[in-house]
Amino acid sequence: MDNKNIENIIKLSDDLRWNIGNDFHDSLAEGIYADASSIVEETVSTGSQKSRATLDAKIDRIVTSRTWGFPIMFLLLALVLWLTIIGANYPSSFLSWLFLDTMHPALKTLATGINMPWWLNGFLIDGVYLAVAWVIAVMLPPMAIFFPLFTLMEDFGYLPRVAFNLDYLFKKSGAHGKQALTMSMGFGCNAAGVVATRIIDSPRERLVAIITNNFSLCNGRWPTQILIATIFVGAVVPQYLAGFASLAAVIGIALLGIFFMFFTSWALSKTVLKGEVSTFNLELPPYRPPRFWKTIYTSLIDRTLIVLWRAVVFAAPAGAVIWLISNIQIGGESIAAIMINSFDGFGWLIGLNGVILLAYIVAIPANEIVIPTILMLTVLVTGTSGGAGAGVMFEADSALATGEILKAGGWTLLTAINLMLFSLLHNPCSTTIYTIYKETKSVKWTTVATVLPIIMGLVITFLVAQIWRLF
Amino acid sequence: MEQYPPLLALSLFFAVSAVLFFLFRPEKGFYWLARKNINSRKKVIIEDVLKFLYHGEATNNSINIKDLTRSLNFREQQIFESIRQMTEHGLIHLEGENIKLTAEGNEYALQIVRAHRLWEHFLAEKTGFDKSQWHTKAEMMEHQLSRDETDKLAASLGHPLFDPHGDPIPTKTGQLATQKGKALSQLEPGTVGRIVHIEDEPEVIYRQILAENIHIGSQIKVIENTASRLVFHAEGESFVLAPIVAANLSVAVLEQDETPEEGVTRLSALKENETAQIVQISKEIRGERRRRLLDLGFVKGAKVQVDLPNPLGEPKAFRIKGTSIALRDNQSSKILIKKID
Repeated sequence: MDNKNIENIIKLSDDLRWNIGNDFHDSLAEGIYADASSIVEETVSTGSQKSRATLDAKIDRIVTSRTWGFPIMFLLLALVLWLTIIGANYPSSFLSWLFLDTMHPALKTLATGINMPWWLNGFLIDGVYLAVAWVIAVMLPPMAIFFPLFTLMEDFGYLPRVAFNLDYLFKKSGAHGKQALTMSMGFGCNAAGVVATRIIDSPRERLVAIITNNFSLCNGRWPTQILIATIFVGAVVPQYLAGFASLAAVIGIALLGIFFMFFTSWALSKTVLKGEVSTFNLELPPYRPPRFWKTIYTSLIDRTLIVLWRAVVFAAPAGAVIWLISNIQIGGESIAAIMINSFDGFGWLIGLNGVILLAYIVAIPANEIVIPTILMLTVLVTGTSGGAGAGVMFEADSALATGEILKAGGWTLLTAINLMLFSLLHNPCSTTIYTIYKETKSVKWTTVATVLPIIMGLVITFLVAQIWRLF
Repeated sequence: MEQYPPLLALSLFFAVSAVLFFLFRPEKGFYWLARKNINSRKKVIIEDVLKFLYHGEATNNSINIKDLTRSLNFREQQIFESIRQMTEHGLIHLEGENIKLTAEGNEYALQIVRAHRLWEHFLAEKTGFDKSQWHTKAEMMEHQLSRDETDKLAASLGHPLFDPHGDPIPTKTGQLATQKGKALSQLEPGTVGRIVHIEDEPEVIYRQILAENIHIGSQIKVIENTASRLVFHAEGESFVLAPIVAANLSVAVLEQDETPEEGVTRLSALKENETAQIVQISKEIRGERRRRLLDLGFVKGAKVQVDLPNPLGEPKAFRIKGTSIALRDNQSSKILIKKID
């Protein structure tokens, strides 16, 4: 073909494009959709699906009503959390009796029996084994209760209605209604919450949900909050109000987390996440009886075990590090003591102390081992009696005994309040960080999700500490 | 342990925060301004002058140096210098007081306009930036796209003819589609037409148009047109505009053989226990979002009802093709329906 002909063809195609107008892509696509739907209408017969089942409609009227919609939602969430926290106590104490009180001494005896050198013995059994056992004992039961309950509600069809009810609030902060679900999932475990953001189909809102999931107080942090609130907040009010005051403090922290979730969502969608495409639509599926056993099985396999496995993988090296820094000595002092001394000045500035900062650094893999690490390190640097030896995490027999150790470490009410704030506002655990990377495949967003909460935590604890000292 | 007095610590903190705020606050932060200043090199000034001249010639206004220094946000010295250079390169020539584009200058200006409008089209179709941001973003991007990149962009967008505001996009060879719209402020009461263009400059007026929730592609009927206000009906709603705002909307008057749509309203206005049929999805919903709605069954002719009102007002759930889909008002107001009994 000669050049003249090619030019003519190009000219012709340009002219045709000119005449056909701008909308032909849309019209074409819409024509196909409309034709398809009219063919379906003519050929497919669909029983009597004209109006939907009256029972469904009745349930929907109640769970999305102005009066009952919100109370039902909060009651159900409170019920699930209560069942989880209270119900997990029994299996947890059994597991910790088995792994920590029985197996740990037995392993120690065995190691001495076969003449294992003390450093290998300590490294493997006091370090690696203890951290892994601790994480399993504290983490497994709440997750095994929380996730099946959650999945049952999801399977029944209630959760999409929650997203429907709350969407307006999330819209105001630039987020997706389904973030209500991933946020609630985060109360169980942030890593699972991050995985759950797959239900959000719009990339921008999904990122918002991933980055802000850490503001949901997870199962690993509830016990810390409750313990510290009981010891310190409960002590400043009259005895008969103690229980109420500490409960209010914990709920206050959880609500503060929700506030920060909304605030951060809003700030993100006004700044760095402005240009991502956002689409919103939410399908409200018909209700159906949950498939009980299948749900239990999948939630155990998909959510609990995967998260637990990741936690164990990360806990093992953390245990090793905790044991090593407490036992390796440089110039007559353990590495832990040296680090604590150098952190103390900064720790004081934000109303915490060096022990807490070090504990949060070495316990990145799991929030569950923060308190045992703090106790061990406090005993290590103050030299008070109690404890199980350098690098061996332990938990005191009672809240009272824990309080005694912490007060010996110089804790005040301010330290306690700031620890509760810092426990809410710090980097996600390494399991969650890894999960965020797996889900976003982006180093940038993983870094944002990791660094943002810790900056907020440092700022908030700093402000609280300084204003506290003003008065 | 070092001890800092709390007042000192707090004031240091607030000082540092204030500095960071003024450096990095969105749009107006010194850091961003400085970066923008570095970018406004000679090329940008020349291109902005060319564009200004082009728009002037398109509206038959003659432009002298004073107009340039008054309208463009550069120092006088910079503008004089760039005019000297442009005359040297044969992009412009002087006719008395007035500055005119040469054929070469005209072609260069069209290229900038093409890059600008294509980029707006790209932002609208492929990203989630808000309408109010398209223009500012395109103002920056038009200076960075090379000719090749512009052509590739056009190809990947399917060689669009109009940008999302309804302005024609010049082709590679500089052709422009004709837009047959008239300013809304000039239409007689009773005229029926379709909104084909929404001007995005000046920004103050554009923001008012956006706030009114007026959509491009809507069919309208002018009800009242006086010196103080203009009233029109579109999609079952009534809009009242100041004439100066109405002048920034262009309307193509319906041809003889087109029949005006009667009784078309927005899905957001559908009440409980009413049934309607979908007429179309507004042109305002583009790209990904449009396909998603089609996938969900919001296609021409489909029957739709309100399934559930929301305790907080929105989103409402709509029953369509046997499923229940919740949509926010900003989407349901862009789906057009016709009520049926």
